[in-house]
Amino acid sequence: MEHYFRHEYGRLVAILSRRVGLPHLEAVEDAVQGALLAALTAWAASGIPADPSAWLYRVAHNELLGVLRKGQGQQRILDGAADQGADGGEDPISPAFAGEVRDELLRMLFVCCDDKIPQESRLVLALKTLCGFSTGEIAFRLFTTEANVYKRLARARERLRQGEIETQTPPLESLRSRLPSVHAVIYLLFNEGYLSTHAEHAIRAELCEEAIRLGTLLATHPVGAAPPTFALLALMHLHAARLASRQDATGGLLLLEEQDRSRWDAEHLREGASWLSRAGQGDELTRFHAEAGIAAEHCFAPSFADTRWDEIAELYAMLERIDPSPIHTLNRAVAVAQGRGPQAGLAVLDGVVPPAWLDGHYLWGAVLADLHRRAGNAATAERHRDQALTAAPSTAVRQLLQRRLAKPGH
Amino acid sequence: MSKQKYLVLARNQPSGGQGSRPSPEQMQQMYGAYKAWMEKFKDDILDKGDKLKSNGRLVTASGVADGPFVEAKEVVGGYMIVSAENYDRAVELVRACPAVHAPGALLEIREMAGAKM
Repeated sequence: MEHYFRHEYGRLVAILSRRVGLPHLEAVEDAVQGALLAALTAWAASGIPADPSAWLYRVAHNELLGVLRKGQGQQRILDGAADQGADGGEDPISPAFAGEVRDELLRMLFVCCDDKIPQESRLVLALKTLCGFSTGEIAFRLFTTEANVYKRLARARERLRQGEIETQTPPLESLRSRLPSVHAVIYLLFNEGYLSTHAEHAIRAELCEEAIRLGTLLATHPVGAAPPTFALLALMHLHAARLASRQDATGGLLLLEEQDRSRWDAEHLREGASWLSRAGQGDELTRFHAEAGIAAEHCFAPSFADTRWDEIAELYAMLERIDPSPIHTLNRAVAVAQGRGPQAGLAVLDGVVPPAWLDGHYLWGAVLADLHRRAGNAATAERHRDQALTAAPSTAVRQLLQRRLAKPGH
Repeated sequence: MSKQKYLVLARNQPSGGQGSRPSPEQMQQMYGAYKAWMEKFKDDILDKGDKLKSNGRLVTASGVADGPFVEAKEVVGGYMIVSAENYDRAVELVRACPAVHAPGALLEIREMAGAKM
């Protein structure tokens, strides 16, 4: 029953927008909202009906048809919708098979990843329609304003209104080319939770769980059942396993070496390992494969000291080849320094000129400060430390840096 | 102590805008609150009542009109019947109802005249 209303919202929006067409998405969302509101009092007063999902579907469906009937010039669409799904609209049948519901949810996910929808609108649209968050809740989770969320949603809806009805509800298989974009949105959703500096653990875990839920739906359908999806799922599970242990009792961030490994979630670790083995089936290597491999090295190392740093450095090198970014080089330098000493780590960064966004990022300063301090270059370390502290995005990160960078060298 | 019957009328002010609409997660919390409230006062909620649809008929000796009037500031949107020893207890019961916190909610309690229990 946890998140039942929110997940029913996603289910109903996906099914009903398929029936009446995506240009009516807003009317669909209003009808679903109305049905949930009706359920709220009716169920509390008279008990939960035998099939609550069918009850909600019927109420939302009838309300939606009522609203569309009032609309001018909608008759043709309405007739089409009635023919397609509702048999005259009398007693609509709710899709009952789990597979059918999964397909509708996936279709909506692919719709959110239409390349004509601006990138920053895709995540917001998915959070709103599939995950059932309100604009206020999305703004709170993404650290932005409600007006900004609303603007992004409006752009996405505008695009959906312009589309032709026939191309708005295509067979899932024909959407396969959008798979990389779907992966990107799921990973973005996960990272919004995982990398968030939200003080409340529940808020972060919730976004991670939503990403895993959508990823799992994707992996169990032929359209998405491919090694990159499996690798993405492995990656998310292996990160999620460590989510709770990243913070101490007071909400302060903990370094990997400070984490209590016995608190890592065994179920997530098992799932992660299982998806990772399936990810290795093909010969395609994606960034998710490399990242999942790195996460697995950390997760299954017996201790911080016994981590296979050479393997990790190797995987970061692979990541650099697949998805070149100086941030991967920086991470490789850390792994190399861990395995072969600070000088070797600094050598990796020799000649790397960070782009402006990375130069001003706390990670760049923090890694350099740490490596130089351990290499005995006190003055250079001091300079980078100041830079990192100035750039720290939150108090929790600043406290972590102060603790980490003040430690005596070892 | 004997109890009296009270009619509770939800005189809701028409909702203003969509900004105040609860999210699905909030609705789920409200659902939990409703259930807890009904369980707590189950002996005193004699009739859970119902919501009322928004249009009706106004009947007088001179004729029938559609109503309630759309320009009305508040509309009776629902009712229920509860029992309580006195107004204080009835107010206590109604104030504990989650519906009180809905935007624009106004609940009127009226003792029913001839209905001693």
